[in-house]
Amino acid sequence: MARRLIFPLYQYGNPQLRVFRPNWFLTLVRPGKEQPPDTVQFRVPLEMTKYDVRNYLQKIYDVPVAAVRTRIQFGSNKKRNHLNQRVKRPDYKVAYVQLAQEQTFEFPNIFPEKDAKATEGSVEEMQEKFMEDEKQRQKPDPRRGGVTEWFGL
Amino acid sequence: MAAMVRLSVRHFSCARGPALLSNQNAFESKSVYPAILPSTTAKSRSAKQRRVAEFFDQLRGSNVKDKLSSLTKLQRMKYVVYPQTFALNADKWYQHFTKTAYISELPEKYSMSAHETEKSNTLPQIDAAALAEIRTLVCNSLLQENCQVRKGRAPLLKELQYTVAPFLKNLSSGMTCVLAKQNPLLRSSTFDSEPQVNFYWLRGKRILPKGHRRGRPEPTRFQIDDKPHCQLRIPHQLPEFVPLRNEVSEEVPVVHLSPDRLPLFRRQYENHVYSGAKVDDPCCYGHTQFHLMPERLNRDRMSELHSEKQLEVTLRANAIASLFAWTGAQAMYQGFWSNEDLDRPFVSQAVITDGQYFSFFCYQLNTLALTDEAEVDNPRKNLCWGTKSMQLYENITDNDVIGLNDQVLRLLIQFLLNGA
Repeated sequence: MARRLIFPLYQYGNPQLRVFRPNWFLTLVRPGKEQPPDTVQFRVPLEMTKYDVRNYLQKIYDVPVAAVRTRIQFGSNKKRNHLNQRVKRPDYKVAYVQLAQEQTFEFPNIFPEKDAKATEGSVEEMQEKFMEDEKQRQKPDPRRGGVTEWFGL
Repeated sequence: MAAMVRLSVRHFSCARGPALLSNQNAFESKSVYPAILPSTTAKSRSAKQRRVAEFFDQLRGSNVKDKLSSLTKLQRMKYVVYPQTFALNADKWYQHFTKTAYISELPEKYSMSAHETEKSNTLPQIDAAALAEIRTLVCNSLLQENCQVRKGRAPLLKELQYTVAPFLKNLSSGMTCVLAKQNPLLRSSTFDSEPQVNFYWLRGKRILPKGHRRGRPEPTRFQIDDKPHCQLRIPHQLPEFVPLRNEVSEEVPVVHLSPDRLPLFRRQYENHVYSGAKVDDPCCYGHTQFHLMPERLNRDRMSELHSEKQLEVTLRANAIASLFAWTGAQAMYQGFWSNEDLDRPFVSQAVITDGQYFSFFCYQLNTLALTDEAEVDNPRKNLCWGTKSMQLYENITDNDVIGLNDQVLRLLIQFLLNGA
């Protein structure tokens, strides 16, 4: 189980029904190197085993898991602080989960490129136009060839 | 001399092919002056190409043993392909590595004779007496291992080794003896028990990401180390299933990902190409391999995990990898390699079983030109035919085999009668 797990001490008269969920957090990450479409990459706590990952996904999220492979990523120990002491980045465990039942997963594009123009007559459009005009006005006169504006007749 | 050979072997890894040289050779006949050849010692691309081409020419002239030793001499990290793999959906990847198209039925030879047993002219007919003899043989060897021999309980994950391995050995050797009457080829065959089969080949390339050779192309190396349960080798080649130039509609799946993602791991050790016997052996062609199913693929367990599909997929991957390794090694023993492609197809067969379920596979090796340089406009592809697993019998009670499937028996007999 997870680290430093302290259950509330049961005292007579407390409610009997207690539901325990693991205090583990899985982070779904975009794979750095391209993975097959049925493979999902997670960052998981170091204490978690393959079986834990499988049970976590299957029991809590109902995800069909076919295979789990894990590795431990060494966090860099190269950085130094202002006292020239080594600063360790924490290690973490990476889990590659292969989905069963021919399910596939593609990491969603969270920050899609905005190319839609603002609608005409809206506040955003006017604001944009104003900003553009201001920028144009701020630009120095190209005919002066970079000579400051306070110099001259 | 030794130093020179070593030098040229190293350059073989980044071969570009002898394109430049051959152009200049063509020029040579017309011009008065000798062609200007690139230097052999300079540090340039053309010089390297010349060295590689000279090395290839030297290889083409040498005998098989020298070829094998020079082609497997260079040791680098290589992907180890396990025929009985733990990876999921490995068949598509293996097809890509071996350039194999998979056809999910047996070749016409077998399907024809299965339908029209009377008229088949390619394979000799199976007469009722022989079939009855085989049937008693199968029943006897099944009962021998399952009922008559008192065996303790098998250790965990060794059950197939305990009962099925001796059964399979009895079955294959017994059937070979019985069918040698009809197939004279089997009389001169050799029966290997748990032989070692290895194959080493290059396929595809990657650009080195770091190191002092960064940015340079590096061929991807593969090694198969297989250990079938038993195999039959014969002195004459089996007839081809389809002609070499035939167009086959099945496509070879292409996987663009690195083999690490299968997952496949890289190791470095001696490169082996070995077909189960030494190069001088007279029985240098393959007939049939018998494989035991991996213990993990227990049918009950797989149905518990709801992954019956994976079972067939893994069997297919097993057949493709083992048969490619075996047939490729046979072809290399005849002096063919990636820059000296086959002039005739090589054929072998495999049976994979867990005692109760049998699956049948046939393989035809059409090309060994799998490296990036040799593969340019090479339309040939290797072919694998296969069936799903079929049940031989339903159950075994005390001294009785219930529901023996004659179709499976017929297929087994036909496999062994191939080449008669």
